[in-house]
Formats: sequence, structure tokens, C-alpha cells
Amino acid sequence: MIEIKNASKSYDGTQVLRDIDLSVKEGEFVAIVGYSGSGKSTLINLISGLVRPDSGTVTMNGEPIVEPGPERGLVFQNYSLLPWLTVRENIDLAVDEVFRSWTKEEREAHVTRHIEMVKLGPAAHKLPKELSGGMRQRVSVARTLAMNPKVLLMDEPLSALDALTRATLQDEIADIWLQNKTTVIWITNDPDEAILVADRVIPLLPTAPATLGKSIAVELERPRDRRAVNHDERFKALRAELITTLLDSKASRTSKVSMKLTLPDILPENVEDVNAFGRWSRRAPKRRNENKKEEVEVSV
Amino acid sequence: MKFLQRFKLDSVLLPLAAILVCCLIWQMIAGKSVVSTKVDDWGDKVTVTKRLGISKDLPTPVETWNASKLYVLEPFAKRGELDQGILRFSWLSLKLVAQGYFLALVIGTPIGFFLGLSKRFTTAFDPVIQILRPVSPLAWLPLGMILFSGVQVMDANGRTTFGASDAAALFTIAICAMWPTVMNTAVGVRAVPQDYLNVAKVLKLSKSKTLWKVLVPATLPYMFTGFRLSLGIAWLVIVAVEMLTGRPGVGGFLWQQYNANSFAHIILCILAIGVIGYVLDRLMSVIEGRFKSV
Repeated sequence: MIEIKNASKSYDGTQVLRDIDLSVKEGEFVAIVGYSGSGKSTLINLISGLVRPDSGTVTMNGEPIVEPGPERGLVFQNYSLLPWLTVRENIDLAVDEVFRSWTKEEREAHVTRHIEMVKLGPAAHKLPKELSGGMRQRVSVARTLAMNPKVLLMDEPLSALDALTRATLQDEIADIWLQNKTTVIWITNDPDEAILVADRVIPLLPTAPATLGKSIAVELERPRDRRAVNHDERFKALRAELITTLLDSKASRTSKVSMKLTLPDILPENVEDVNAFGRWSRRAPKRRNENKKEEVEVSV
Repeated sequence: MKFLQRFKLDSVLLPLAAILVCCLIWQMIAGKSVVSTKVDDWGDKVTVTKRLGISKDLPTPVETWNASKLYVLEPFAKRGELDQGILRFSWLSLKLVAQGYFLALVIGTPIGFFLGLSKRFTTAFDPVIQILRPVSPLAWLPLGMILFSGVQVMDANGRTTFGASDAAALFTIAICAMWPTVMNTAVGVRAVPQDYLNVAKVLKLSKSKTLWKVLVPATLPYMFTGFRLSLGIAWLVIVAVEMLTGRPGVGGFLWQQYNANSFAHIILCILAIGVIGYVLDRLMSVIEGRFKSV
């Protein structure tokens, strides 16, 4: 359904992503795990259409993705709710725009259903600032789901939350997914979270520029109980494999540092040039101010 | 209780003390009248009033109060075109300020949005704005007089209700007061978080919906800072405008009283202008605060 072929992206001359190949089937739940700052957000922005690749192609059902659209619902890391609108109005904004042909009642019912789905019924008329982080992210998820997206893109949706809220929301979102079975691409920096929620986990290796590693299939039954799964040997093995892949690629990472090296030497002067008259026209002692540029390989 | 005492001391007594100190300094600088009687060459008794002091003609606080009691205690009285209660004068000025200020906001806000949204527009118009911005109201007024020299709206009795000088005054207030609104709106639009714009992009909001649902609410706090500063300038400008045009109002009254050598009334006008300006600023910052908290 979503196909990325040979995509690369650089910012200000630094390549962030290189040779990204990704193929996501319809109804699949894919998690991409990587270090902070390794280009995860850039990757999801490529799929959402907020960012265009420098080379390579990003397609959805064969059509190239050129701009963001409601069929690819994006859940932002920082929720990005509009602070001057209430929970309901935030969701209204999305629904009114996407389902213009619906009647007012249909849209209202649709919004109410999604507010109920994320268990925010009593808070529907509150402003985002009156909600906790977890509730805000639920609003954001509801807003995105209310657009009936074909693909749900989650950009580190839970990384700003505390561990317990995070666990609850992981389970809730996994439940919602079980009911809807939309395609999900979930970006995270937490290997446990990735294995717990996804069908397939792909590590984003922190080479510079980053590339995608080999994908790891997660064949744990759903619904997954986080208490049971902690003792599951398959879960442990998957986690070990994933973490090893990520750590190994980090260790082998080298970066090139280029710096200016100034040599503090002065060239010998030609004493014959120095005479009484020559004093005015005499050149100052020459310095070898040629700046040598060298490239040094430093391993980090 | 102790907190309350402290609070009262800090926020009420200290300002009062400062005002008292200022009045004392005023009293010291002001001259005082010394009345003496003497017998002149013809044998008649005459009273001679002499003023002594650092600034002989400056009335003392008490003299100021005595001279302007009438205007303050009957603030809405109208005895003549240029002899009205101080609040009535202020009301005339405020009406004009409101109109000019409204014009400034209506013109300034869209310009601010254009500046904030388009880099090319900014590059093109920034020098023009920077050149026009520091021009004094005193310089704009004559231009306004020329521009609107033909304006004359008359009522049924043939009296001019809106003449060239009114139009010029509005023009001057609008063009002087508009700049803070323009600049702050532009800054605010540029400061709209990219996240909100991304939301608009992902939801594929139409241009007008992006403007009204995302850009305008996100810019409002900045806009209101601009509005507040603009109101301050509008109130500054009105005095200059009234002085030059002789319109009835607080500034016009001030200038008339200067010509009439009635210095106590000048001080009254200055204080009235100051107090009203302060009240306006407080009002605006309350409104501004409400938008900031969102």
C-alpha cells in the first residue's frame, strides 16, 4: 500500500536518510524504532507528504505522494492540538473539512463516536490546556481517526508521556487498531513498545545517514497482555535481537569531522631587502597563513 | 491579615507616597503669590500681587485645584464650545480617537498579515514602512489637510458635521497609530508554530479556514499587543491634532488655555490626558491578558 523506493533526504547538505526502502501492506501494523534524532520524524514526514524526498519515490497505492492529505492521518509527537479550540472543536475541524458532503447530524454523531472511542466524553468541552498529556494525545488520536484515514501515521505518539500513561495508551491504541484494522506506521524510540504493538518492527539504523535495517516479524497473539508478554520467551528473543541490531549499528558508526588547522609558523625574512629606504615599503614578515584543511576520521 | 497589610502597603501606600513626593517637588518649584498693600503716591491704598519662586508663573497644586474645580466637579457641563467640563472634552477627544484607531486597526492588521505571510512583500515594503513609521503626527496633519481639503458633510441645518479638519485628524491618527499593529501582527504571523501549520496541511484546510481557524487565533496575542501600543499612540496623537486644528477636545482646550495664560488649566489637561491614557492602557492590557492566557 505504502511504497518507499530508494528515498534519500538531506537538510542543509547533511544527508539524513539514505536508500530507504519500505513496503507496507494494507492492514499491517508496522513499527519503526530508532534513536532520537536519527531521522525518524523525517521518515514519517516523507510518508505524510510534509517533506518531499530528494531522490527516490514515495507512493501510496501506486500514486506518488506529493502533499499531505487526510487519507494519511498523522498523529504528532507534541499532539499539535489547537489550544483555542475545545476537544470537540478540534475534532470538528478535521471532520468538517474531510466529510463536507455529510449532513450536520452525521458529522456530529461521527465526532461523538470518536470522542467516546478514546474515552473523553466528559472532557469534550474542555480546552487542551485543561487536559493531561495522555488525554491530549487521545484527542489527537481521535482527531486523526475521525478523518477515516487509510493509513495512520504515528510520530512518536507517546514519547512525551510518563511510563504508566504510556502503557495504558499503548493498550488502548492497540485495541482500537484491532477493531478498525487500518494500516498503521508507528514511529518510536522504545523497542518494547514497538514489539508490543506491531506486527512487524523495522529498526532505523543510526548510521549517518540513517538507513532501515532488516525487518523483524512479531508473531505474538493479539490481544497482547503486557504482564504475560514480559515472560514470553519469544518476546525476550525479539527484544534482544532488536536491541542488538540497534546497538551494533551505533557502535560501527563513524563520522567525518573536517576542521581548519592553522600552523603557527613564520617564514624566514630576506634580510637583504631591509635598508633605510626600504623600511617604508618593506613587507611585514611573512606568515604561512595557508590554512590546511584535512579530513580526519574519528570514530564516535 | 499580615499579607493583606503588606499588600495594601505595597500597592496603595507606596504609589500614594510617590504622588505626594511629586506634589511636594511641584510645590517647591511653583511660585507663590504675595499680596501686599501699600499707599501709592496719591494716598490711596492699593493691593499689589507679586509672584515669587523658582518658576514664578507655575501655579501651586492648591491654586491648580482651585482654578480647575469647576471643570472637574462638573465634568459634563457645557458652557460654550471651548468651555466644557473636562470629561466632556475628553469624551469628544475619545470619540475621534476611537474612529481613527478603528481605521488604524482595519488598515494595519491586513498589512501585518501580508508582511508576516510573504517574504517578498516584506522585502519590498519594509523600507517604505521604516521610513513612514518615525514621521511625527505634526508632519502628517498638514498633508491630511491638503488631501481632504474638499471633505465637507453637512447636516440638515447646513452646519458642517464632518469637515476637512476632522478628516485630516482621522487620517493623522490612523497613519500614526497603525505601525505597532502592523509590526506586531507581522511578527505574530511569523511566530505561528510550524506544528499548527502542519495540522492545517494534514487536514487540508482551505486557505480561508487556515486563516480564520489557525493563523488568526495563533496571532491574536501578538495582535493585541500591537492594538494596545496603537491605542497609546492614537491618544498621543489626538492632543497634537486638536492643538493644530483647534477642535474642541482635551488638546484643543489645553492650547486655548495656554493662549489665555490660564496655566492651571494646562496642568489639569495634562493630568486628564495622563489619567485617561493610563486607563485605556490598563483596559487594553486586561483584554490582551485574556488572549495571552489561551
